[in-house]
Amino acid sequence: MDQHRRTFLKILGGAAGVGIASQPLFRALADPPAQASDEFFVLVHASGGWDVTVGLDPRNERRGIIEPANTSVCDTSAIRHWANQVLDDGTTTTFQTLQPPGTSLRLGPAIGNLYDYADRLSVFNGLAMNTVSHPDGTYFVSTGRHLAGGKPVAASIDTMLANEFGREQLLPSVSVGFPSTFVGPHLDARVAPLRVASVATVSRVLSRGNVNTNADDRSAVTALLTQEAQDLAARSYYRDALTGFALQFQSLPRMLAPDVQPIFNASGLALAQPSFFPTPGLRFQAGAAVNCAFAVEAMKRNLVRCVSFASGSHDTHSTNYRNQLLIQQELFDTLANLLRALDATPHPTRIGARLADHTHILVVSDFCRTPQINLTSGRDHYPNGSALVISPKFRGGTSFGSADPDQLLPQDAGTFADGTRAVGPADVLATMLTAMGVDPRRYMRDGDVVRAMLRA
Amino acid sequence: MASKTTIAAAAFAGLTMMASTAGAAPTREQYRLFRALSIDLQGRIPLPDEVADFERPGFDLDGWIDTHLTGPAYAERMRRVYMDLLRLDIGTMFNFVSNPVVLRRVQVMDPSGAPVFVYFRRGQRRDRVESDGDFCLSPAETGVTVAGNGTLSGTAQPIDAAVWAQRTVEVRPWWLYSDYRTASPTLRIGATDQSTMALSPVPGLLTEADGHTPTVTVRVCREEAQTPEQAPMYLSGRIAALPTTVPYPGGRVTAPPTDSAYSRAHPTDMVSCTSGTGVSFAAGCGCGVGLERCMPGTSTTNDPAAFSLPNFVPLGADTPLDNAQQSQGDWTRFWWVQEAVHFLDDLFANDRDVRTMLSDRSTQVNGPLAQFYRSFAGSTCCGGGTQFNYVAPDPLFDPANVPADLTPHQVTTWRRIADRGPHASGILTMPIFLQKYGTRRARAHVLYGAFMCRQFVAENVALTPSTEPNLMVRPGCQACHATLEPMAAYFSRVSESSWTFLPSASFPTFNPACVSTRPNVAPNGGCGTYYDPAFSAGGNGMLRGAYGSPQHADEGPAGIAQVITADPNFAGCVAQNVGEAFLGRTFTADDQALRDTLSTALSSNGFRMRALVRALLRADAYRRANNLDPAAASQGANP
Amino acid sequence: MTNTARTLVVSALVALGCNGTPAARTPAPDAQAPVSRPATDITPTPVTAIPGHESLAQDTAPKEAPRLMPAETLIRSYLTLFGGLSPIAFQTRMRTTTTGEALFDTWADYLSALGIPDYTADIPRAAQTNTLQLAAYERIAVALCERAVQNDLRGAAASAQVLFTFDLPAGRSLTDAEFATRFDVLHRRALGYPAALAPDTRVPRFLALYRSAETAHADAGVGSQRRFTGPEAGWAGVCEGLLRHPEFHLY
Repeated sequence: MDQHRRTFLKILGGAAGVGIASQPLFRALADPPAQASDEFFVLVHASGGWDVTVGLDPRNERRGIIEPANTSVCDTSAIRHWANQVLDDGTTTTFQTLQPPGTSLRLGPAIGNLYDYADRLSVFNGLAMNTVSHPDGTYFVSTGRHLAGGKPVAASIDTMLANEFGREQLLPSVSVGFPSTFVGPHLDARVAPLRVASVATVSRVLSRGNVNTNADDRSAVTALLTQEAQDLAARSYYRDALTGFALQFQSLPRMLAPDVQPIFNASGLALAQPSFFPTPGLRFQAGAAVNCAFAVEAMKRNLVRCVSFASGSHDTHSTNYRNQLLIQQELFDTLANLLRALDATPHPTRIGARLADHTHILVVSDFCRTPQINLTSGRDHYPNGSALVISPKFRGGTSFGSADPDQLLPQDAGTFADGTRAVGPADVLATMLTAMGVDPRRYMRDGDVVRAMLRA
Repeated sequence: MASKTTIAAAAFAGLTMMASTAGAAPTREQYRLFRALSIDLQGRIPLPDEVADFERPGFDLDGWIDTHLTGPAYAERMRRVYMDLLRLDIGTMFNFVSNPVVLRRVQVMDPSGAPVFVYFRRGQRRDRVESDGDFCLSPAETGVTVAGNGTLSGTAQPIDAAVWAQRTVEVRPWWLYSDYRTASPTLRIGATDQSTMALSPVPGLLTEADGHTPTVTVRVCREEAQTPEQAPMYLSGRIAALPTTVPYPGGRVTAPPTDSAYSRAHPTDMVSCTSGTGVSFAAGCGCGVGLERCMPGTSTTNDPAAFSLPNFVPLGADTPLDNAQQSQGDWTRFWWVQEAVHFLDDLFANDRDVRTMLSDRSTQVNGPLAQFYRSFAGSTCCGGGTQFNYVAPDPLFDPANVPADLTPHQVTTWRRIADRGPHASGILTMPIFLQKYGTRRARAHVLYGAFMCRQFVAENVALTPSTEPNLMVRPGCQACHATLEPMAAYFSRVSESSWTFLPSASFPTFNPACVSTRPNVAPNGGCGTYYDPAFSAGGNGMLRGAYGSPQHADEGPAGIAQVITADPNFAGCVAQNVGEAFLGRTFTADDQALRDTLSTALSSNGFRMRALVRALLRADAYRRANNLDPAAASQGANP
Repeated sequence: MTNTARTLVVSALVALGCNGTPAARTPAPDAQAPVSRPATDITPTPVTAIPGHESLAQDTAPKEAPRLMPAETLIRSYLTLFGGLSPIAFQTRMRTTTTGEALFDTWADYLSALGIPDYTADIPRAAQTNTLQLAAYERIAVALCERAVQNDLRGAAASAQVLFTFDLPAGRSLTDAEFATRFDVLHRRALGYPAALAPDTRVPRFLALYRSAETAHADAGVGSQRRFTGPEAGWAGVCEGLLRHPEFHLY
């Protein structure tokens, strides 16, 4: 920065010292400093409610009300792990379950290439969802709380993690259709999720011309506005919005740095991470592939702390259930690609470490689908669920919780602080926070830690 | 140093002053209020002239507010409150792709060997086995095979001139001629200004197969060019499907259709050509005059490209942010959304009773919507309904009530339709609502939240295995479904993911013809689609969804509208929704007094929203509130 | 206790130098666990009845947090700031260039970042800002202000000026007073009130910004990387500062 800019900023500093602007500033800054962290997070919402009976909690027997997926209602032609098994009626063809060696897991044929990483998978089954409403289930799995009055009442897991580990990060939380919320105490305005419809459209927002004016000119304006926002916050009764402006103005120059824009460009991501983009292309999870490629590139540059996204709809009430297996297989294939890329990518700040050693993945869904197949060859909403964690902090190749064999309902999973009950979404989130050394009670009202799933 | 009292007095002196105070320059707080009012009632920050007016002594702020409570920006502001709550738009995966409506096209060679497009619709009945239910020219005649999914294969060959003349015909269609209903259309549509809304066919519809010759007429299969409103039942004589072991006639790759039980039982009946039944039962049904009962597409794909229209219209359809080539399904979906938008705008602009949002039989239509309701909506009827002798739709929007003079080209001409018909009920029977919320329960659920400000929150109980099909009593489900099922029952007579009405004359709530003979096994044939085996009892099958309340099923969507709007909490919920939108925050227990004030303003003024908003804009929370910290005020800062 | 009454008492305490922390708005009942308190018998006492408080001025205004301008309103405001063009015409005007300025892309590129709701995907309206949103504000403000400078400050007739509805003296810098007059025009336009009513730091701060840009662009012209002259860059910066200002986006 040249001399006149320094002079200008000096003037700003002087002005800031005038009157009420010199009062103590922000609650956010008074919070404990963000934990120094080398950890990264990828959070996925399998939107619409996935069918766990072909993936994480497979069922291939007619038992009770359970009608297993079969070739008359499912398109199995592209499902690589589908191996026929005939039911006792002699005509219906279902699948054989998979039991990855060295693990206690049973998986369905939709697991795709994630089968090869089974020893890293930590599965929660029989989640007590207590809802079959999309909005409620969606926010229940991301916040651990049901909606109240139709609105979320707690921070989502991406916000919690970003608040703990991402306050100093340029992009604390990038949310692509993930049910992100920014609600509750202790939240730093800088970690408000960057909610975008697609990461590929963001690059345009970050591009700048330098013909008439240049970056120095714009930085000077930003510096002024930071001071204005701080001053206005200092004189305000409700300060959050203005504090947010001030902190976000401070982050802006880094976001506009030349190394950021390319990671928000679809073609650039395809070039940088070609393994995410197979030929022929993905039918249902092309967006997930872009988001995962973005996550790797952004983490590699140490720009982001948390990437969260929703993956294409699993809401298959009717004949579109034919695609349920492929929808899941493409998602799990994409996650396998993500693991492969994380394995191959050096950690940006830890010498000798891989990104995979410090990246934590959580996959959740609204709920699951009915064990029965309805008249239109689909499955409807059902108040059970499964969640998948892939994290070096978790014990891989294991599962916790279960759904009953006749009706696929959550069964008691153990004794929690409030007694014996099934495991729930809040427990999954609390366990995730605990694994990262965060006290869940800082953000969550509910949820116990499932220590059995954590590495010693 | 001035005393604290003096400082505080100076700081707070302006707080009780209103902008209309004669002779005094406005305070900063008054300017802030005027800017907020402009944002809320004009949809933008104030212009310099408006600020100058505001600054003039004697400016009548209340008069200004009243004036702007009648403007289109106010209507848009209020509409946004409800669009944010209802989110009335759907993704492209829910596009309306109805085979009786979509005219797809195949490129073939005419007798001279020139490439030519021929339009056809899937499933069209024809009087020869080589093409019945398929493209009118067989693979043997064209060299081109059209698979069931639209995939083309083969090498085009010149078609025999006699076959060409016999099987195809030229038409001047509605998408090319605004006067398509005349005997000799001449007013051809050309390129349109992309910054305004207009019927704008994609370039592929405007040029011939050579890519540059302007299309003047389109060639279409002869059956599709037919114009009768009704046609006789067609019987092919085929009762059983042709064996797959031998090649199909003419080289076709799809099996020719067979005669249904209904058509065999009603061989002399006439069939409505505006219903889905028409295309599948009558070879004499076509796309009508100028092909107006069909939507064009540039290919054989499922949802082919058809028209240019915006992707984004946050400022309204008349002020698009972009323009792009889109599919025929996008076109219909776009106007479904706009129907709700214009209905709400009309409601708020004319300060109609807000309860009519749910209950009114009126709506707003433009040319494309008129075409949809006149010619397309019936195409989803009647499927398996034929088993119940339901072959002509009993519509939610009676086509007879659609203005006959509105043509598809009149995209910016909107008309209020006072009465859609006896089954209509506000937004509840609009396609966008019924598609967005495809199931009975989803429909009831969103209304429960948006208009009753309540949310289904399940008990935190363990769900135990149970064979109880009645969710109103089943442990763990009961907490929500005891309320939800009776509400959902109001939608039992509107097909899920559709707008097809199921009249009681054809679909009695209790139907002895659809009783299950075995528990939980669907009754015979089509009964299973409409009747629920789990609630088959007393010698009757139960209409699906009606078990929550058979009476509600017969009352229909208008019944739930009546219940919601009569609920004592309705006005309070409206007040809360509007108040939260204007104040930008969730109401808390502290806001009860404001909620009550607004609620009373609404209910004591005939449920006219303007009274509520006027009360809100005059409430302290809007007009007098500021964000100045008392400590800063004590040091002389102004609000 | 109502907001108003609570504010009244709190304000009184603060004004007198008592320690008092403004109470937060009472959370919704569901947002916190119930708290039981012992019953106490407190007789209400007007503040003025407390000795020494007889003549205390009272802030009786309720407190409300500023809310974010809806994205639709923001876009329409941008359009009016540039003479009321249609969105597509605005986009064309911003993109048209012979110098490779690359000031604007398409509205569609910015909508998500601006926080507009997506009803098709049930993505709600943004209720608070994030850094990306501020980047979008900057992107659009730069385009709008630089185009307006080119349109208005290069000898345009007053009737053709869209935003900078004032003239600049030829061949010399503005005096501080002349700056303040012109700044007030923009301040009113963007923020809706006179600059004189803004916090005392507002005008000096923007004047410093203007002078800084004026100096930095003193070498503008042929051969320079800075295309805008000093006054042009100064007013572009001032304009951007106002269109990106928290008071512009909050209301």
